[in-house]
Amino acid sequence: MISVKGLYHSYSHDEKYAVKDANFEISKGEVFGFLGPSGAGKSTTQGVMTGLLQLQKGNVTVAGYDVKRASRTMFNKIGVSFEQSNVYGKLTALENLEFYRKLFDVSTRDPKELLEIVGLDHVATQRVSEFSKGMKHRLTFIRSMLNNPEMWFLDEPTTGLDPAIASVIKEIVKGEKKRGTTVFLTTHNMFVADELCDRVAFIIDGEIKLIDSPRNLKLQYGERLVEVEYRDNGDLKKETLSFIDEKDKHHLNDIVNTGKVEMMHTKEATLEEIFIKVTGKGLQ
Amino acid sequence: MKLLYSFLKDMQLSLKSFYIYIELGFALVFVAVMLFAVPENFEPRVTVYAYLDLEGPNQVMAEESLTQEGYEVILLLSREEVEAELADNRSSVGLAVALEDGTIVYDYILQGYEDEKFKNIIKTSIESGFAKEMPGYENVTTVTTLEGKGEKLSDRLNILPVFLALNAAFMGLFIIASYIFLDKDEGTIKAFAVTPAKVWQYLLGKMGVMLVSGLMSGLVATAFIAGLKAHYLHLILLLIACNAFGSALGLFIASFFDTMTKAMGWLYMSIIILAFAAVSYYMPAFSPLVIRMLPSYPMLFAFRETLYEVSDLRYIYANVLGFSLAGVVLFLLSNWRFKKTLTV
Ligand SMILES: Nc1ncnc2c1ncn2[C@@H]1O[C@H](COP(=O)(O)OP(=O)(O)OP(=O)(O)O)[C@@H](O)[C@H]1O
Ligand SMILES: [Mg+2]
Repeated sequence: MISVKGLYHSYSHDEKYAVKDANFEISKGEVFGFLGPSGAGKSTTQGVMTGLLQLQKGNVTVAGYDVKRASRTMFNKIGVSFEQSNVYGKLTALENLEFYRKLFDVSTRDPKELLEIVGLDHVATQRVSEFSKGMKHRLTFIRSMLNNPEMWFLDEPTTGLDPAIASVIKEIVKGEKKRGTTVFLTTHNMFVADELCDRVAFIIDGEIKLIDSPRNLKLQYGERLVEVEYRDNGDLKKETLSFIDEKDKHHLNDIVNTGKVEMMHTKEATLEEIFIKVTGKGLQ
Repeated sequence: MKLLYSFLKDMQLSLKSFYIYIELGFALVFVAVMLFAVPENFEPRVTVYAYLDLEGPNQVMAEESLTQEGYEVILLLSREEVEAELADNRSSVGLAVALEDGTIVYDYILQGYEDEKFKNIIKTSIESGFAKEMPGYENVTTVTTLEGKGEKLSDRLNILPVFLALNAAFMGLFIIASYIFLDKDEGTIKAFAVTPAKVWQYLLGKMGVMLVSGLMSGLVATAFIAGLKAHYLHLILLLIACNAFGSALGLFIASFFDTMTKAMGWLYMSIIILAFAAVSYYMPAFSPLVIRMLPSYPMLFAFRETLYEVSDLRYIYANVLGFSLAGVVLFLLSNWRFKKTLTV
């Protein structure tokens, strides 16, 4: 569905690359996560793939179209949700969607139905300029679904949303995945990526460091950890210890033998911890 | 179809923003000022350019009698000079007085738009002045009418073309650019860019909005100020061509910038430069080539032609054609540029 080969992009048209030699393929029906800290080059990559930024160097095909000389009909197959919501503030939510759907040549979904899914039906006829940030974000999100895209680009779909709404969004993405939609999902939220993605790419300073499935990554990089809470001379202590590290294993043995353990459970490494391990950097 | 939807949406947006009301409000204020505060003609006093070919005491006497009549008299040295001045100052009349065989010969040189009543008033008042001072002379009177347009617009009507060019044509230049930057700011331009709709549909939809507001304000102002005197068919076609030219120029300038602040200087400068044509429009004596080369220069005169009783259709339609063509070329250039820069 997507093939990116040797992609470079520089906003200043010089050697200062926002994206450097990116290579990846996304197969049909796959949910592909693009993970990295702020300024890593995630939105830039998405911008080139969606034709918003000019392709400077490399080869990019999306949904069978070569982005370099893509016909505009390509966009009938594509949906794009933006990290910064961009809807007409002077129009109502419904007017925004009604106008937008008319720009497509393919059959589109019922705007009212989409508004209902993300809980915006009660403000459908309200001016968008009166919306909160999260409401605008949801509107931008459902707008990208209007044309039933085969290829769906989601830039930070859950950022800034309250947990309840965020889980609604995640459920929608899962539902679309079931229907066979291919998703390119950009985020710096590892939990979202872990939950939704078949494969993830770690990108930092414009370079992709690694691409694999969350499960493989955990098997490969994740140490098995155990979290223990125990009493030591009346004080409650809490430690995280590794099953692999010899010193930790002995220490754990001692704690168990003294019999003062109050709580103990094993813990998988999170995608976030793996990211830090692989790239040497945090995600925020 | 997408063009139509895009236009309708932009129309809806523009009705919810203030620009269109500024434009229409400006037209109404202009009408009000013109009708209630500005006299139909600014200079009720007529300037008389005179060439007196008399001798000694007669010369002095004639000069005195002329100035006493309350005209602004400017004495010149030849009949040719009189004609030259008349051509530049359309609200003046000329007079050549000579003494031939003891007879005073009056030669009136008129613009051609004066009506009979006006001619007679001038004649009798000047001649009676002479008769008082120089009794006993017979006189012979001839009237010469200058070549050229036999029609002069009232001063009030004469301002209308400036308004039409400014409001209907060049205001669009500014407003269309700000609409584009508004969309860039809001980011909605990016949302549009990831649909199968084309850039030209986006741009043309905006031009449609400019056309509607430009036509409305132009026609409202003309209807109130010129009433039935204007030739509306020619005027509408000319307004369309000039408006399209102005908007396309605005698009073209906007295509070089990513924010309104950066584009502002250029937009402002181009409007000021175009406005210079109005100077030559009012003072035909000052028409250097640089001003005559401005597109606004023929535009002003073309708008004026639509207000004359007998219009120079060839001139009007040369302008309609010229501005339409220039508009199309600028539009194509903007489209080509925006394809690359719209979302940057
Ligand atoms: N319009 C622009 N002009 C110049 N530089 C830009 C522009 N947009 C982004 N950059 C730069 O390119 C680099 C990558 O930015 P990008 O927006 O792709 O990051 P991101 O991974 O999406 O970050 P975030 O998580 O904050 O959205 C950054 O260094 C940024 O400063
Ligand atoms: Mg981003």
